[in-house]
Amino acid sequence: MSAKDTRIGSAIAAATCTLLGTTTTAPVVAEEAANWEFDSALLYYGESDGRVTDLSASILARRDFDDDRFLNLDLAVDTLTGASPSGAISTGAPQTFTSPSGDAVYTTAAGEIPFDDTFLDTRFALNVSWSQPFARLYTLTAGLGFSTEYDYQHMGANFGVTRDFNRRNTTLSAALAYSQDDIDPVGGAPIGFAQMLDVGDDSGKGGSESKDVLDLLLGVTQVLGRATVLRVNYSYSDSSGYLTDPYKFLSVVDPLTGDTLARTPGPGSQGPTGVYLYENRPDSRRKQSLFAELKHDFSGKVLGVSYRFATDDWSVDSHTLDARFRWPLGQSSYLEPHFRYYMQTAAEFYRFSLVDGQALPEFASADPRLADLDGITFGLKFGHKTASRNEWSARVELYRQTGSVASDQIIGNQAGRPQFPDLDAVIAQLSYRFKL
Amino acid sequence: MRIIFPLLVIAFGLAGCTTLGVQPWEREVLAREDMQLDANPVDAALDDHIYFSKEASSGGRGFGGGGCGCN
Repeated sequence: MSAKDTRIGSAIAAATCTLLGTTTTAPVVAEEAANWEFDSALLYYGESDGRVTDLSASILARRDFDDDRFLNLDLAVDTLTGASPSGAISTGAPQTFTSPSGDAVYTTAAGEIPFDDTFLDTRFALNVSWSQPFARLYTLTAGLGFSTEYDYQHMGANFGVTRDFNRRNTTLSAALAYSQDDIDPVGGAPIGFAQMLDVGDDSGKGGSESKDVLDLLLGVTQVLGRATVLRVNYSYSDSSGYLTDPYKFLSVVDPLTGDTLARTPGPGSQGPTGVYLYENRPDSRRKQSLFAELKHDFSGKVLGVSYRFATDDWSVDSHTLDARFRWPLGQSSYLEPHFRYYMQTAAEFYRFSLVDGQALPEFASADPRLADLDGITFGLKFGHKTASRNEWSARVELYRQTGSVASDQIIGNQAGRPQFPDLDAVIAQLSYRFKL
Repeated sequence: MRIIFPLLVIAFGLAGCTTLGVQPWEREVLAREDMQLDANPVDAALDDHIYFSKEASSGGRGFGGGGCGCN
């Protein structure tokens, strides 16, 4: 090296040392990554006309460990009150029904669709899952779930694996879940098609029941471009056991007038003033669905659209279209309108009412949730990220459900009376996402 | 030239067909929180629970967080 090079070299060395020297007076400490992330939410769901109201609080906690391993804990509490359609239909006279407990009666005015308002239930649910990488491109997830309410307990386990391909542009996933549910209805599970009897008479009622469900999910996630990602899932679900709703029943009607057959309670007893039979559903249900979701970024605004087609061996077919558009407001806030459209076809054993004199079908239910129906949701969410990068958000949604009954199921006077209990509900939620 | 040119055509053709996706350094948008497919697990779980209770179909997106006596 020449003398000149050495001098330049020294100058550079001196400059570098000076630079390093000045920055080391205040030691640089790498910022500790937040380890716990919480997602908390308070939700109000309220239907109009004194129908169902639900208040729920939930918290989702995630703990990141090193090497992409994480633990998820999800705890939720729910209280449900309010009136629910029982499956009985409106008729020309006031109606009295025995409540599910068998200890009391409730009434419905003439010409109105009967609702059972004796429900009050609190539900606790806990889900835990663990996820970790396996080999270079695989991720394994395992989870356990548990929920309990007054008349229902659920326990489940799930296991899943994902594998990345193509520079992590494609991910294949497969997951399996199994659950066992125990149903212990208030008053006992009615025997299928047993008649509703007087207060204190439980001869048509049994004890507790159970069901199990096996779910399989296969999915592909594919990056389509710098700003677009697509997910497609295929699901298969097999339920077996007690699938009937123990609190729902059907009205037995006159074949000409369509009016509910009258009944007189026993002497000195309170009880139903009509002939009602508890519903009876098949003891197995196989469902399949195809779900596709696309997210696309439009220079900072994000559109998320999804579509699901579902079909099963109860002949319920449904289509669900869901769209969300996130609109950033400044650097820290956003507005997100939401739209959802749902439609389903009735279960093959859905019956508006049972006709006196006709042979009982093998299965029947008048539960409006198994009828031909449409649901539309409009919602708006507002979110804001604070200086400490925590986020709070609020959303309000309006849900309207309308249904219809096939004309060949409407008899006589039924045509002039309300048939499907259309639903209007408000959903309001406050959320706070924070790191510790 | 007679070998190189077809080879280049094949090479470019194959490069074009090398499945959809982006390079690892092109993921700045995809990495954003609001571009994640599971961006709002709490909202999704609450909605799934509501619609499961009011409609006859459920799931599809992932596994539900547990059963309930509502459908």
